[in-house]
Amino acid sequence: MEQSHIRNFSIIAHIDHGKSTLADRLIEMTGTLSKREMQEQILDSMDLEKERGITIKAQAVRSIYKARDGEEYMLNFIDTPGHVDFNYEVSRALAACEGALLVIDATQGIEAQTLANVYLALDNDLEIIPVINKIDLPSADPEKVKKEIEEVIGIDASDAVLCSAKTGEGIEDVLEAIVKCVPPPKGSENTSLKALVFDSKFDAYKGVMLYIRLFDGVIRPGMKIRMMATGAVFDVTEVGVFKPNIINVNELRAGQVGFFAASIKTVKEARVGDTVTDAENPTDKPLAGYRKATPMVFCGLYPVENAEYDNLRDALEKLQLNDASLVFEPETSVALGFGFRCGFLGLLHMDVIKERLGREYNLNLITTAPNVVYEVFYTNGDVNLIENPCLFPDPNVIDHVEEPFVNATIIVPKDYVGPVMELSQEKRGIYDNMTYLDENRVMLHYSLPLAEIIYDYFDRLKSMTKGYASLDYELSGYKDTNLVKVDILLNGEQVDALCAIVHKESAQRRGRALVERLRSLIPRQQFQIPVQAAIGSKIIAREDVAALRKDVLAKCYGGDISRKRKLLEKQKEGKKRMKQVGTVELPQEAFMAILQMDK
Amino acid sequence: MIKKSFKVHGVYVHVPFCKRKCLYCDFFSCASDNTELMLQYADAVCCQIEQTQAEVTDYATIYFGGGTPSILPVDGLIRIVEKLKQCGFWQMPKEATIECNPGTVDLDKLQVYRQLGFDRISFGVQSFNNNELQIIGRIHNADDALTAVALAKAVGFKRINVDLIYGLPLQNLNSFQYSLQQFCSLNLSHLSLYSLILEDGTSLKTMVDNGQIKMPDENLTADMDDWVQKFLLQHGYKRYEISNYAKTGEESKHNLVYWNYLPYIGFGAGATGFDGWTRYKGVENIGQYIQSPLAVEKEHLTCDNIYSEFMFMNLRKVDGVRLKEYKERYGEDIIDKTLTKINTCIEDGLVEYDDKKDVLRLTERGMSLGDLVFSKFV
Repeated sequence: MEQSHIRNFSIIAHIDHGKSTLADRLIEMTGTLSKREMQEQILDSMDLEKERGITIKAQAVRSIYKARDGEEYMLNFIDTPGHVDFNYEVSRALAACEGALLVIDATQGIEAQTLANVYLALDNDLEIIPVINKIDLPSADPEKVKKEIEEVIGIDASDAVLCSAKTGEGIEDVLEAIVKCVPPPKGSENTSLKALVFDSKFDAYKGVMLYIRLFDGVIRPGMKIRMMATGAVFDVTEVGVFKPNIINVNELRAGQVGFFAASIKTVKEARVGDTVTDAENPTDKPLAGYRKATPMVFCGLYPVENAEYDNLRDALEKLQLNDASLVFEPETSVALGFGFRCGFLGLLHMDVIKERLGREYNLNLITTAPNVVYEVFYTNGDVNLIENPCLFPDPNVIDHVEEPFVNATIIVPKDYVGPVMELSQEKRGIYDNMTYLDENRVMLHYSLPLAEIIYDYFDRLKSMTKGYASLDYELSGYKDTNLVKVDILLNGEQVDALCAIVHKESAQRRGRALVERLRSLIPRQQFQIPVQAAIGSKIIAREDVAALRKDVLAKCYGGDISRKRKLLEKQKEGKKRMKQVGTVELPQEAFMAILQMDK
Repeated sequence: MIKKSFKVHGVYVHVPFCKRKCLYCDFFSCASDNTELMLQYADAVCCQIEQTQAEVTDYATIYFGGGTPSILPVDGLIRIVEKLKQCGFWQMPKEATIECNPGTVDLDKLQVYRQLGFDRISFGVQSFNNNELQIIGRIHNADDALTAVALAKAVGFKRINVDLIYGLPLQNLNSFQYSLQQFCSLNLSHLSLYSLILEDGTSLKTMVDNGQIKMPDENLTADMDDWVQKFLLQHGYKRYEISNYAKTGEESKHNLVYWNYLPYIGFGAGATGFDGWTRYKGVENIGQYIQSPLAVEKEHLTCDNIYSEFMFMNLRKVDGVRLKEYKERYGEDIIDKTLTKINTCIEDGLVEYDDKKDVLRLTERGMSLGDLVFSKFV
């Protein structure tokens, strides 16, 4: 098909504004899948994605649409992960497009994530088509949303398409708008291959499948290609498109979107953002914007049963095949034994990996509380990145410490501005500015330590605003800070996996809250257990878990024996989920206690 | 293990009817006053008895439990007892007990029980405080209990048990002590003393979950437990099982069949039986039971199941268990494996083993924390 009849577009939206449903409807409307093949939100193929209503991996679907002008168009829809953790993936997916549908919920208006994604799209020079969704709802107010789009984002919303992805109303108008407004690609098929990798997926048979957008040239099976950032060279074995099922094709040409496989063993060899070119006749300059994803959040992952260590390593290696941003290396904890320190793009990424390890690999894991990476400057001039709080050095050898900060955008109804500012202040936020989006909603900008966002900022923001607040953030850099390490002692023994790095001013309060939380989490055991928080050798808080006084089933007669046995078996099963640390049995939640202290 | 068959040592008959279901009860029973249905039920039990083949010791104990056996029309009860005798299940029982609700007995009934051969009666008293009785949905009050006990004595019952519960809503240490003092003043032979357990699916559980009823706190019930052990001992009641106390020689022989892990037979809807290898249970549905009284659900126990049940049932007794007993019954020597499993419990002072006498038993501390020991066997 001529490039003039190709449209590459993406959908950007805040979570729950209906991106996936709209995508489903578009696929259904273009007849890419028959009604029978359609299942709700087919693009979110992982169970987890469906459950959480989020997209983790990008997808690319080709469909053919017969427009009102009588011509057929090839629509390549690139679905992006909507979450801030995957911002870089989103930006690469957007870079593969010429246009984007900006989907906004007609009842909610613009949210923080909408904005972040719009800015990414504008950075990539995309044509933005505002789509106001959920117009079937009684509280829909499309006119107000249009006004907001114009005032806040500054793009013309007079032609915004109104639709309901749920009922199907207006979907054809969306398709027409794509044909009419999204510019066709304009690369050259005759120059050497230049393609952007915007995602990748590991397939047990094909090896890594790279999702690509061709800017110039052609790719076909048998070609030798080079990854320009990593320098790796591969022979293309297969080229294809998603409809959304895999269809092999003879070639992909400039302007098109699809995938190729080349017996690539791990996603590390072919990273998202890299440029693919012809190894024998390379293009002179790679596409702009490649960078290696850097993990921002770390935690320790330990098997409850030490014997499962090898299985955990195998599982992490398998997940890494498909996820270049997951990093891990072995570590040892006195309390937890052998495990791995793992790095993630953010909290959601961490949750997803943890859940997949549990669900897909059936591993029973203990996770330590997540932390950021601290940059420690020693008095002797050395500089070190600390990814594990236990390894935080003695205060005597520290000159100063820096921690990562983010620029945060918070959108809230105006009545909550006061409390949100107070919270941000408490969380060591530095106020930047405030804008009224309309008479009711306010956008705040703060510089905040990432550690506070991980800790409980977002949860508290959500609960204090009854869920109305939306938050988005991006890393802004490292700043000087005043931190101390709080150790936790159980029964007088220091438990390394429970230590925490906190700001000096809040150390007392956090130490107290942490021991209180631990006391409520640790079940009573045979003997009293003192729970203490300490900075260095100074104890700053203590609580005791009282000894268990009674634990025996009162009644047990002829009819109860089986039930009683099953009860004991169940209790034992529950105990298996506990970790024996010294003489104390700790539930898995204890290691996350620091995150839940104010609840 | 060597598979051999055992003789039945106890016979249980389940009467699944109650005037009203108590809020905490999770036994199989139905609130009913339908005499016709109860008589049909009694006939079904007779039918089951008639068609059941089993080798029974001539001294096998008898126990009528429920539900509320005393709600059963006397005619029905007579038919069942006659049938048991006719079929050899009731010969010269070491003990024949009938459970009664203090609100459902009168002199005539009690006389019939005596005449039929019951020599032991068990009253579900639960508390001698009316507010506590009321909140858990009992149909009787403290006076009813005193009257019932007096009547039982009057018709000649020498062996009388009372059930009491601690850890009841509204209960405090004083009111609990009052109930125990009332019990002691009656000078009975036996006491079953349970701490209230919130069972899933009971109304009480729902009400506690909804915040309508507040349960006393863990420490209070533990205080009651500490106090009552000394009190009962002072009054001549010796603890012989985790929840049971008796004057010398007055232990419940039927319940000891369970704790000694000996075979027993069960008749009636929802009744459980055990032949040493398999456990079986009648359907928990009165209509279905009347239709087909022989239908049972079988649970074939694995060797591991048998070992763990043998241990945790036997260890409930203050006298503990002889480990060689297992070899005598099942042909497997379990001494080494048992001692390995519980070495930490021995260190923690929950259990002790006298290797000369070959007796393994819970310590006093272990009696309160028994589940920590029992869980080692599953």
